[in-house]
Amino acid sequence: MASQRRKRGQNRVVRYLILGSWALFCLVPVIWFLSIGLRPRTEIITPQPIYVPTLSLDAWNMIWSDWPMGSYLRNSVLAIVGSVAIDLVLAIPAAYSLSRYTYRGREDIGFYILSTRMMAPAIVAIPIFFLFRNMGLLDTIWALMLIYAAINLSVVTWIIRSYMMDIPQELEDAARTDGASDLRILWEIIIPAVLPGIITAAVIAMIFAINEFLFTLLIASTKNAYTMSVALANFTGGSDGVIYNAIALVAFLAFVPIFVVVVAIQKHLSRGLTMGAVKG
Amino acid sequence: MARIELTGIQKRWGNVWGVRDVNIDIADQELIVFLGPSGCGKTTTMRMIAGLEDPTEGQVIMDGEVMNDIDARDRDVAMVFQGYALYPNMTIYENIRFPLRMRSVPRSEQDRLVREAADMVELGDLLDRKPSALSGGQRQRAALARAIVRQPQMFLMDEPLSNLDAKLRQAMRVQIKHLQRQLKITTVYVTHDQIEAMTLADRIVIMEGGLIQQIGTPDQIYSDPANTFVAGFIGAPPMNLIEGQVKDNRFQSAGVTLPDLPISWDGPVTLGVRPEDCRVAADGGHLIGQVYGVEPTGDMTYLTLKAGDRLIEVKADRDYRSDLDVTCHVTFDPQRLYFFDPKTGQRIR
Ligand SMILES: Nc1ncnc2c1ncn2[C@@H]1O[C@H](COP(=O)(O)OP(=O)(O)O)[C@@H](O)[C@H]1O
Ligand SMILES: [Mg+2]
Repeated sequence: MASQRRKRGQNRVVRYLILGSWALFCLVPVIWFLSIGLRPRTEIITPQPIYVPTLSLDAWNMIWSDWPMGSYLRNSVLAIVGSVAIDLVLAIPAAYSLSRYTYRGREDIGFYILSTRMMAPAIVAIPIFFLFRNMGLLDTIWALMLIYAAINLSVVTWIIRSYMMDIPQELEDAARTDGASDLRILWEIIIPAVLPGIITAAVIAMIFAINEFLFTLLIASTKNAYTMSVALANFTGGSDGVIYNAIALVAFLAFVPIFVVVVAIQKHLSRGLTMGAVKG
Repeated sequence: MARIELTGIQKRWGNVWGVRDVNIDIADQELIVFLGPSGCGKTTTMRMIAGLEDPTEGQVIMDGEVMNDIDARDRDVAMVFQGYALYPNMTIYENIRFPLRMRSVPRSEQDRLVREAADMVELGDLLDRKPSALSGGQRQRAALARAIVRQPQMFLMDEPLSNLDAKLRQAMRVQIKHLQRQLKITTVYVTHDQIEAMTLADRIVIMEGGLIQQIGTPDQIYSDPANTFVAGFIGAPPMNLIEGQVKDNRFQSAGVTLPDLPISWDGPVTLGVRPEDCRVAADGGHLIGQVYGVEPTGDMTYLTLKAGDRLIEVKADRDYRSDLDVTCHVTFDPQRLYFFDPKTGQRIR
């Protein structure tokens, strides 16, 4: 008994050791970013790496005073939240239709939707630029909302659809014989039942949107529409040279909210990411 | 009041047949049971009555009115599903109230009706729970309550007890029959379990391969089967079907000899005899076979005999015991013999 217990304990130590080293390996860049963000500029490029830097809020003060950080943050949040809202409004009925009704070409439509993700975005960059210019939407967050929504619509639809396909037909039949209309069924039965899927899809769309760079760079030209991701790139230019500590700090700050959200919903997330693949 | 007629109903998906030809006239307040093996078209027929599926051919008529073009939600039938189909995000109370809400029953009425229905199935204490917090039997009763709450024209129940264990199934069976008699609502009940069908039904509709094999009261189905399918499906264990030859009014098969047949027939025939109509005799008898198995159950003993290369089931006395391979004589009750044409399976009368 005693020896067995000791063995169990040892196994657990080994397991934590392995997992701990893996976690550390993954987290080192993040920690390194934070450490660079919180040191003075003089300690960034040195012949010998400085592992324990002087704590300094230079970068922190600088990003708020020298740059319109507030605007960037607001643009990011509005563009992302808006785009996810557009996606959900369009994707939920589309996913319901794809998962429930049978009609000619249903499978094809599902595939067309997904195929929009298969193309290199650069191919459509120029046409999209002209499109938004003609609409007078260049350098607005409206354009960002639309483009983020367009990029993510397929994935969001696909994830929600796969959750909906897991709902037994019986449930809808029951609601129908109970007297519910299609819209009622969608609203009162289907949406509550796939809420985890909807949240997962929304978070995945948020992650894609927050990291979007190419189209944002194309559309945004001033602080009217600059988001965190494009603003980051801008720190590298200018007469001040490359301001590594500010870049690192902003990158870290952009990472934190997503990290928190992902940790909160990680149970659903892994299912959302693998599902389209296995269920087809 | 609800009388349902199905006339010339067919259902096909491409070239897959669900139902080939169904004609039934269901009387008001009747409890009718669709009985048949899996895949015979019971669910399909029921879904067409509910309006969840459109017949390819034929008409669904309710109280003289053709219902084919009327949507499921306007048919006023309540369905109980095999998997219960309770709405997982709602409490039991909300589940039972859902059909009332959908039909715009006044709010003041809703609460009273929900509680009445819940009390009827003894679920009053569990109204605040979510379906996931209930046992199988409780979920089943919640599904029943949701069906009875709005006093529909008709109940449709698709294998409602098949997910319950045997003991619970019997208790619920009695409860369903009691409720149906109390509420006097026309009911179609689907099952593949012949005991359930026999105990519940006013009339049984036996189906196979999308076709109705026989319609009748449980007594008629048991004592007057129309063909070998019905004969072999009803009874536990089911009727023994013994192929043999008739010559000079005498049935002959391996180990079986029957003189003085009540039918005029010549040539191959299938003899049907129920295990409960066989009696172990000292000698002579109609059947001579070797004991193949003895299974005491308490109130009787199942005896399996081997005659030629065929096994024949006999219900023997509760204290009957025997060694294997002993020769055994059996007499048949001459009043309860059935003969079938082996080519068509139809009864010879
Ligand atoms: N939606 C459908 N599409 C194609 N075939 C179906 C469909 N529903 C049922 N069937 C077929 O119709 C036949 C009858 O099915 P069903 O009514 O469910 O049988 P039961 O309820 O008696 O077990 C089966 O062969 C089944 O495969
Ligand atoms: Mg079925």
